[in-house]
Amino acid sequence: MIAYSGPFWPFFLHVLGAMTLFGGILTAVVLSIVGLRDARPFLRAATFLALLSCIPDYVVMRIGAQWTYNNEGWKHAKPQPTWLGIGFGVADMGVIVLLLAIGGAYWWRRSGNTIAGRAVAGLSGLYMAMLAVAWLAMSGKWG
Amino acid sequence: MSLVQWLLTLHITAAFFYVGAAVAALILNTLAVLAPRPSEAAYFLKLIRTVLPVMFLGVAGTLAFGIWLWHERGYSIGAGWIWASLALWVVAAALGGAGGRRQEHAREVAERLASAGDTSNDELKAILRDPRGQAMSLLAGVALLAILVLMVWKP
Repeated sequence: MIAYSGPFWPFFLHVLGAMTLFGGILTAVVLSIVGLRDARPFLRAATFLALLSCIPDYVVMRIGAQWTYNNEGWKHAKPQPTWLGIGFGVADMGVIVLLLAIGGAYWWRRSGNTIAGRAVAGLSGLYMAMLAVAWLAMSGKWG
Repeated sequence: MSLVQWLLTLHITAAFFYVGAAVAALILNTLAVLAPRPSEAAYFLKLIRTVLPVMFLGVAGTLAFGIWLWHERGYSIGAGWIWASLALWVVAAALGGAGGRRQEHAREVAERLASAGDTSNDELKAILRDPRGQAMSLLAGVALLAILVLMVWKP
């Protein structure tokens, strides 16, 4: 029954991916902040793993977004609504921030360098804030 | 934005907090299970406490703004999918709470072992990999997933 209910799967996958992505990045933020205060290596390794866990969540979220966009005919909408632009902007720019955070976490894990740790905490926090802006814009249908 | 849009935004934000914090707790619990030393397991289990305020905001917000939305959007009082979601919300909260108490017990055991040589033993391994505890967490996750299905599907 669910399979035949029109746009269920694309939107469900988009929301599920976005929520689990938020969970992964929240974990990375907590672990990176704690890891800056406590130099034990297992915290740096855990931060790296938490950030890696965001990749499948991102893929599910992004596929769901594109599928919903195509299914609901948004590509024909002129002009595109602001909330849609914010959503795509955060998804496509945000992945760069996420990849930089993963790269930084790898460097931090190997070196224990405090600058790398600060960069990871900053980038993870930035990405979490970007995700919050996206879900607020999309759920409130800004513009 | 209209009142309904505000309520929807707050309801969805609360859902992000609830599911996000549940995922964070799952990741930290998994890291604790995989940790080679009791001190590391205890550390990860203790960190779960830091995401609990986010989870509690989500648990309370989804219910409060959800019921308000129910009234504002004029859904029928007999809407089965909303009653089913409420029942699943209770199940998820109860199972999540029970799972949390088991994690607290595991943390106490791990801290005790950490201060006594930091070597794991069968007791800690059994608590961390307890099938009943894992089943509770799994069912809480399934209940949350089912709520999300109902909220998107609105049968």
